[in-house]
Amino acid sequence: MSNVPAIDRSSRWKAVRSEVGRAVGALVIALAVAFIVVMLTSKAPFEALDVLLTQIPQRPRTIGLWLDDVAKLTITGLAFSLVFQARQFSMGVQGQVYMGALAASYVALSPIGTTWAGIPLGIVAAMIAGGFWGFIPGIAKAKLGANEIVSSLMLNYIAIEIVNLMVRTNLPKPQPGVLTTNDFPATSVFPRLFDNDWLSIPRLDIGLLLAIAAVGAVWFALYRTSWGLKLRLVGHNPQFAEYSGIRSTFIMVSAMTVSGALGGLLGSMFVQGQSYGMLIVLFEGNLAFEGILVAIVARSRPLAVPVVALFYGYLRQGAQLMNIRTDVPAEVIGVVTAIIILLVSSSFSLNFIKRWFKRSSAAAPAPATAGGAAK
Amino acid sequence: MMELFITVFSAAFFVTLIRTTTPLLLATMGGLIADLSGALNVALEGMMLTGALTAVLVSTIPGVPWYVAVLAGMGAGAVLGLLMAFFAYRLKADIILVGFAINILAAGGTVFALAMATGGDKGTSINLPSQAIPAVNLSFLSGIPVIGPTLTAFLSGHSVLSWVAAFSVFLVWYFLYRTPWGLWLRGVGEYPAAPEAAGIPVEKIRTLSLIASGALAGLGGAQLAMFNYVGFTRDMTAGRGFIALGAVLLGARHPVGALLAALLFGTFEAFVVVLPGLFNWIPPEVIRMIPFVVTILALVLFSVRAQRALALRAAK
Repeated sequence: MSNVPAIDRSSRWKAVRSEVGRAVGALVIALAVAFIVVMLTSKAPFEALDVLLTQIPQRPRTIGLWLDDVAKLTITGLAFSLVFQARQFSMGVQGQVYMGALAASYVALSPIGTTWAGIPLGIVAAMIAGGFWGFIPGIAKAKLGANEIVSSLMLNYIAIEIVNLMVRTNLPKPQPGVLTTNDFPATSVFPRLFDNDWLSIPRLDIGLLLAIAAVGAVWFALYRTSWGLKLRLVGHNPQFAEYSGIRSTFIMVSAMTVSGALGGLLGSMFVQGQSYGMLIVLFEGNLAFEGILVAIVARSRPLAVPVVALFYGYLRQGAQLMNIRTDVPAEVIGVVTAIIILLVSSSFSLNFIKRWFKRSSAAAPAPATAGGAAK
Repeated sequence: MMELFITVFSAAFFVTLIRTTTPLLLATMGGLIADLSGALNVALEGMMLTGALTAVLVSTIPGVPWYVAVLAGMGAGAVLGLLMAFFAYRLKADIILVGFAINILAAGGTVFALAMATGGDKGTSINLPSQAIPAVNLSFLSGIPVIGPTLTAFLSGHSVLSWVAAFSVFLVWYFLYRTPWGLWLRGVGEYPAAPEAAGIPVEKIRTLSLIASGALAGLGGAQLAMFNYVGFTRDMTAGRGFIALGAVLLGARHPVGALLAALLFGTFEAFVVVLPGLFNWIPPEVIRMIPFVVTILALVLFSVRAQRALALRAAK
């Protein structure tokens, strides 16, 4: 890094600043829209907003829920970042989460689960299962030309049904008829991170460490290995990559497989984490798809993913609290999510808003300024 | 196995098949128009869902006839299409990301609106008195000698929208291949630089086709929530929009091919309806998986064929 010219570094900071500005601008607009929706529908809108924005830091329990969500959002954000950097629109993280969770549950509920190996083997099994589930749409696209969007989405639905089936018929469960498995043995559940006299945060487990490690690993793989360079080349300019002799199909399939392994890891974090410690049908609560937002706002940069996850996880948990304590359903956050994705993935910028206002207030268009801003 | 054959070739199964195919077919036609104009519409799922909820909620207003509710569902889909076009073309966002944003918006927004309309129920609209689309009664066909009763059994009792969907295939075909605007649309999708140079407004055509696409998907949603089931349930489209997208790709981007693909997937959805009664030893989860597995298999098999054709063409 020492030989990076100063001018390059300052322009990089400028880019970071403008990206942050865009993200904050999008967040403000999205929250404003959500605020209008809450105002129109809630009997106590200000109370709802107060719960949404200020309640989390006040109790260790809600802080634990928030940070637990941040860890999970980071992983799904990384999984989407990897495939987005290779310009593949594989949408299969949800299915990979379910397959990973299933594999981890089989390990945890087997005799291995009662030994020290329950946690590491559970994680490995989950990553293999998730990787396999990510490999299928990859190889189907590379070898057979099947559209990865459709096939990965179909695999999501299939994975959910497989988990439903296995929980209902095959895995050991406390009593017939319930759609959960037995509690995992304590040796297979992630230990809590802070569990002592002076600091005790419920729900927060070593999944957070896994998430931090994953950020480092994905960053290293993308920016410090030749595989990562090839992957980014394939994503940025597939024709150039092809001409320079990069086997783009291999990169494509491997990116989807690694992304799938991350999805599988997330599955293990769900079921082996403090939040469940067992496998329940439909456990994932649509968190996996929210990785799209995290990846887009982070511009698919691994180091930015946890930062975005921190903010988005706060909103997500705030919405859950609002759902419990006020009359506003948590689903209002879907509106916020969609608006942020729309604004951040578009050429929306603060300049654009300024121009728009200028254009609508003064009827005379100013092509010169518009052209300048477009540059 | 014998029971399955008897069931599959019965008139009742045919009626079920048409019922399950109709929403898929409408969404597929919508996806086809967008895809041919060069705008891959991955938001069909969200548009169907929004159309379904809008149709149900409008139909609960006293004094509103059913067709107004259906039109409202169509309108809701069209608005989402316009929104998609605005972000994709005016604000230059990636159309696939925009599509998924619309899906997220629809998944959250419909549950939110449902909870508001029902006073807190986030699951179904079962407590709201919503209307159904009437079935078309063709029992007068029984008067025809010999084949009359069979004709009635097969053709009577379908939703009005099933006939609309069947007609829409012809309409879309006629529009695409027999009108100048259809030629423009296909040209814009095939090679946008040429129509651009000829002065054809590329983005305007794509915007219009996304609006039409949304309207058709919304219509499919209305069929789902006002005929197949009466009332809205959360996530009731259950991947049908994505299956429709698969049908567009499978159908070789032609209306007739899309019709056949939608019929194929509709048949397997009809299996999901009838199989539990016939084979109670098959786990219901496996039966529910069938349409998704078939979609992947069909996509893979078709892509192999398409690639071989491409390779052959290149070899010549």
